[in-house]
Amino acid sequence: MAYDPRRTNSGTSTPQPPPPPPPPETTQADMASAVQALETSNPANTATDSYKLKFCTVCASNNNRSMEAHLQLSGAPTAFPVISFGTGSLVRLPGPSITQPNVYSFNTTSYNQMYEELSSKDERLYRSNGILNMLDRNRQLKWGPERFQDWVPGVPRVDHLSKGDKGAVGTEGGVVDVIITCEERCWDAVVDDLMNKGTTLNYPVHVFNVDIKDNHEEALTGGKAILDLANRLNEAAVAEHRVHGSEGWENGTGPARQSFDEKVPEILADWQERYPNLPALWTLAWL
Amino acid sequence: MAQQMDNVVDQVAQLNAARSLVLGDAAFYPQIVNGILPIVGASTRLELRRWGANFLAETFASPMLAGAQKEQLAPNVLQTIREILELPETDTAVLQSLVQTSASLYPLVFRHVVNHPQDTKSWETMSAIKQDILRRMDSFPCPVKLCCAKFIQRVVQVQTPGLISDPRRPEQNETSLAVVPRNHAVLSIPNLEAESSGLLDRLLGVFQEETSDALLVNATLNCLAPLIRTRQSIANKIINAVLEFYPAKHVRPPFTPTVRVSVKSMERTARALLINVLKKNPNHPLAGRMQMYIERLMQSRLEVTDDASRKRGLPNEPTDGLDNAKRARLNALPPPMLKIPPMAPGPASFDRLFTLTEDTGLSSFDVKQLPIDLVLKIVVPLLSQVHDSTLAQAVDAVRTRYQTITKDQNLQRQQQQRAAAQDDDDDDDDDDDYEPEYQPMDVAPVVSEEASAVAAEVADLQPELVSLGPFVLPQPPPLTEEEAGEIGRSAVARVFGMLNAAETSPAPAKGQSQQKLGFARLAGSTFDRDAWSVLLARLATRAPAGLENDQQAKGDAVRRQTTIADSIRETLYRFILEDFRGRLNIAIIWLNEEWYNDRIQMKSHANQRDHTEDESEPAVPLNYDTWATRLLDGFLTYLDSRDIKVLVRFLSEVPEITIPITQRVASLAKDPERVNLCVQSLMYLIMFRPPAREMCLNTVEDVYQTYEESRPAAGKVLTKWRPQSKALEPAANDAPESSEAKPITPEP
Repeated sequence: MAYDPRRTNSGTSTPQPPPPPPPPETTQADMASAVQALETSNPANTATDSYKLKFCTVCASNNNRSMEAHLQLSGAPTAFPVISFGTGSLVRLPGPSITQPNVYSFNTTSYNQMYEELSSKDERLYRSNGILNMLDRNRQLKWGPERFQDWVPGVPRVDHLSKGDKGAVGTEGGVVDVIITCEERCWDAVVDDLMNKGTTLNYPVHVFNVDIKDNHEEALTGGKAILDLANRLNEAAVAEHRVHGSEGWENGTGPARQSFDEKVPEILADWQERYPNLPALWTLAWL
Repeated sequence: MAQQMDNVVDQVAQLNAARSLVLGDAAFYPQIVNGILPIVGASTRLELRRWGANFLAETFASPMLAGAQKEQLAPNVLQTIREILELPETDTAVLQSLVQTSASLYPLVFRHVVNHPQDTKSWETMSAIKQDILRRMDSFPCPVKLCCAKFIQRVVQVQTPGLISDPRRPEQNETSLAVVPRNHAVLSIPNLEAESSGLLDRLLGVFQEETSDALLVNATLNCLAPLIRTRQSIANKIINAVLEFYPAKHVRPPFTPTVRVSVKSMERTARALLINVLKKNPNHPLAGRMQMYIERLMQSRLEVTDDASRKRGLPNEPTDGLDNAKRARLNALPPPMLKIPPMAPGPASFDRLFTLTEDTGLSSFDVKQLPIDLVLKIVVPLLSQVHDSTLAQAVDAVRTRYQTITKDQNLQRQQQQRAAAQDDDDDDDDDDDYEPEYQPMDVAPVVSEEASAVAAEVADLQPELVSLGPFVLPQPPPLTEEEAGEIGRSAVARVFGMLNAAETSPAPAKGQSQQKLGFARLAGSTFDRDAWSVLLARLATRAPAGLENDQQAKGDAVRRQTTIADSIRETLYRFILEDFRGRLNIAIIWLNEEWYNDRIQMKSHANQRDHTEDESEPAVPLNYDTWATRLLDGFLTYLDSRDIKVLVRFLSEVPEITIPITQRVASLAKDPERVNLCVQSLMYLIMFRPPAREMCLNTVEDVYQTYEESRPAAGKVLTKWRPQSKALEPAANDAPESSEAKPITPEP
């Protein structure tokens, strides 16, 4: 769809009354032909094709693995809507020794602050261990690390859009279709937290885990694998939308009639065969 | 047409703009919702219906819009939803969103009706939607079915009594059956409760399906937590249903990767749910069962689905190119195979056996020409350089050769023997039939015959042991009797060595084993001190029985010196006297054996005599008397007045009390200190050894008469056991008269 929410967003400061809705006077027959015309003439422009799954990536500190995946997903040609979180109690970054980590609080510290602080502390150390590079990447993507447990699904995220967060387009509604965690601990925390949140939105969400070691190389490999998974999932979701949109539902047979949700276990199994070193896990939860 | 399409595109763009508006400020929701309802209603295009349904779902789920406002918006929206559903709608996306919206709306409408009983229309519409959803649920496509399950969960949550946090402020209470007044005009509590109970069964029914649908199971599991947490009355029912559910049992082979993913996901989700419940209430009454279930799930996961390790393996390549040390050595060449020529023809010799080279010059070279230190200088560095596997090959080659030769030679020898045996057979059969039989001990075996038998045995063994070449040990020179005796004594000395060594063995264990064995024991079966002493005693008594006769016939002069038996006896005697208190046991064993042997010999001799009608002189040498008195003599002098136990034990356990023994005991009375020892031991024998009673009484009388010091003690014994004794008369006047007094005459 040729619709840019960012453009409309700028106009929110001067709220305009809702457009008077002229009820379409077309007949049922006209409708059908119009639909057909819509799909055949300009398929690339139709709503079905621009359909995208909304993603959420989660790791412990919302810095390395989830942000690498955030980058991959938002920077992909499909430019998936994506938000990201950490499940830890605090943001922990490696310090001069294993017992002296750099600790920041979620939601209130920006990547830029961390970057400035660490580069003033010991630029050489944090440059050589890759922390500054990572923070630099992160500050290009969004403002700061967010904690999953503090996320209230359904709360609009228009301000993130206005801040220019990468992947914010499409996530204004504050809901996601797929959550991908990067560690089993995080998956457990996410599933548990969603239960605690009370499933009030009645909105289904697929929660995946892709086990990635917490280092830069593995995060890169894992991020690419997550993008691959996202592409496969999205493909299936788009296919479902198209099938239904063209009212070909009754004509389709076998796998074609399978919905996106039904395909998820298969897609994950296929994906896992390709990435045996990234053990995966999945469930269907509720926001 | 194109214009219409553009129209739709424009409309959607406008709608999106409206959505952005409300996302930015929730205050616009009532306005927008009411505005879009006609656009996205039942009769509009699919795109618009989709957008509308999606927007409605978002609206009524939004935490930004207050419940009261949603409640106000609900009636209009309900009507639209009902109309769309009754189209009937077939698009999955629209249905999905509408069911989601209904699930969000249900508690709102319920609360609205509770507070406004007059608004029956809203409740009717909501009920109609509910019935429609529940009726069509099973025929809906999967994604919609999932949302239906969530809808059911919502209905159950609403129509089950919840907690009333504050009765004074009903508007703050959670929407549940508990907020419905008993006399509500529209809502009948029993009906609602019954319905919710049925719906809960339907919801939990997924856990009892033959084949589980992982999506539906996971969706159900993930929405149960709020029910368990907030609805006490049904919490246990739900938990029990989950505890009965084992994902691995609800799948059928083949276990494709997809099935594995499904099972794993169901197991992990069930586990997550129970952990969530346990975390909220660690003292839950079902906590133990939940814990067990979680553990069982972990196990079944390992068994069924997780054949592959969950951890990542080693990286295929070293992460940096530097750690060559960790790489397997692939460039190490296997050593060359050694060429083993067949063994040189001709008779086998060690020289040929070990020659592995075909070079004649090398094999004919005599290494003995080299000085030994030069050979060492060459061989030692050479050995360190020889490759392991080359050496192993060479050794194997020699071993194979050796085994082949041995086998051949054995075969040859057997053939020869067979031929020889055939020859013998032709000559005479007697020799061949000879089998050494058990010799009765009184029949002297022919030594030379035995020796030849042993030689034959050795000859038999020889080919097996030494198979390289025929080698016959030269016949040993015949032993002189002194030498044989010497060897015998040294053998005996070694057995005594064993006795000494065994003496240190733990006493309690010995006692125990003895007690257990009892009469059924075999002498020498336990390898303790007693066993060895029995062995020695028998060696001394029984083994040479009969031989002595023979030698006696030869001449008395040599007999004493040469018999091995006597040397054993002598050694035993000395051994016991070295520590007679500790080794009394051995003495008793020995004397018993001695006595028994005497009896047996006398008996067999008597039998023989009957047979042969020989002269009546007893030719059996009797050892018991001699050695018993010798032993007694040996230690009597060392006995001290407190050794009553030692003496009594000896006297009571030796097989026979003889007059010489009683005399030895009587002699103790010479020593005034040991008078009591003497009298008491005799009294013991009188009391407990009836066969020796008379003999001992006589001895006591004798003692009484001979030794003044013994009178008080001996007098008491006599007055009790032989009151008529004449010996008493001169000393004790008031003692009754004894009818019979025998002067004791010591035996020669």
